[in-house]
Amino acid sequence: MSLSWLRREWNSFFFGEISPTPIALFRIFYGLLVIATLLLLHSDWLAWYGPHAWISLATMQSVEPGIRLNLFAILPPSDAWVWAFFWIFLSSAALLTAGLLTRVNSVVVFLCLTSMQQRNLFILHGGDTFLRLAGFFLIFAPAGAALSVDRLIRMWRGVEGRIVQPVSPWAQRMIQIQLVLLYLSSFWWKLKGAGWVNGTALFYVYHLDALRRFPLPPWFFRPMVLKLASWSALAIELSLGTLIWIKDIRYIVLAFGVALHLWLDYSLNIPLFQWDVLSAYILFVDPTDLARAWNWAKGRAQVRG
Amino acid sequence: MFAPSPWQLNSYVEAIVIYRDGSRKPWSFPRVEQLSLIERIPKERYRKFTEALQRDENDVLWTDVARRIARLNTTPSNPVKTVILVQKWSRIVPSADGSYEPQPWDQHVLYGYGVKPEDLR
Repeated sequence: MSLSWLRREWNSFFFGEISPTPIALFRIFYGLLVIATLLLLHSDWLAWYGPHAWISLATMQSVEPGIRLNLFAILPPSDAWVWAFFWIFLSSAALLTAGLLTRVNSVVVFLCLTSMQQRNLFILHGGDTFLRLAGFFLIFAPAGAALSVDRLIRMWRGVEGRIVQPVSPWAQRMIQIQLVLLYLSSFWWKLKGAGWVNGTALFYVYHLDALRRFPLPPWFFRPMVLKLASWSALAIELSLGTLIWIKDIRYIVLAFGVALHLWLDYSLNIPLFQWDVLSAYILFVDPTDLARAWNWAKGRAQVRG
Repeated sequence: MFAPSPWQLNSYVEAIVIYRDGSRKPWSFPRVEQLSLIERIPKERYRKFTEALQRDENDVLWTDVARRIARLNTTPSNPVKTVILVQKWSRIVPSADGSYEPQPWDQHVLYGYGVKPEDLR
């Protein structure tokens, strides 16, 4: 391994051109998740973000002093403005999902999402934080280069042809790295807690009444099963933080990750968390495999039609 | 998620609202475990929020919360005078064979707040 090899690999990883389809698909999933987050918050919007919310803006600013990216701090303190913020945010997320004025809307969505999180940090889960961080890099990504209204307009104007042009993937790589850091930090923090090491952590998680979702089979509550599940969660998180970069085994690692998140989504009521994280898995799928899957699905649809 | 250690209590926060005429009324945040499968999805943020409220390091939140509870419960003829935030909990303890038996509930006063007239505007 030489320095020139390292430089070549670095440049190839961050700047070697690839298909924009994965980042475009991520944009769509991301936009849908932001919309879902907003819709779930709709009934309590003023309770969390209004002028008479559970936490006042002044208290939040004392908890997080200094200069913060928080549009609520400059909005006039009235219900009408806070609702206007909601509808502008929702509209922008819808336009981002469709890929219309993609860059502008990625900036608006990031600003609104960051402001919303800064306005009340006490109701956030890791999925919200991941959306915010991924949203920052999405601003710089060519997220409208495929599967977007922007592209259709460019084709209609004759600026672009039918074949999607490859793009520099550095922003996509940053989101991938963000996902990996999420798993590694989660793994690291769990190692600091005795429950994850001795295997009792999930005993507590699955006896928290407020987290329950769908019923679980009685065998799952056996101490040995809960221990194995606790350790498996650790092993899968470590794999997703490391082995995911190895192309030959990537899909196996991703499959374990999907299984873990689907299980958690079935068993625990933490709405959208699992999907926020899973959305970024698409960035690890090879564009040629995406094309193959698309052609296969198209073929199946034609056979049925 | 759940790092470094999961929460080891089933718990919730209740408020005792005391009015000017001396009458009392219990008030509770939405308790996710008592809601239907559909209702609990948008209300899950309350679980997260009340979990944060129960931590002493977040005591800065208690005044705001007490004020809002006062506003939600006051009436012009009988305004709220005091709000007391109470944490109720039951420890999650594995028994010797690893099974689970629900433990008795306990309670602890987090905070008492004397409501000012301007809080109710």
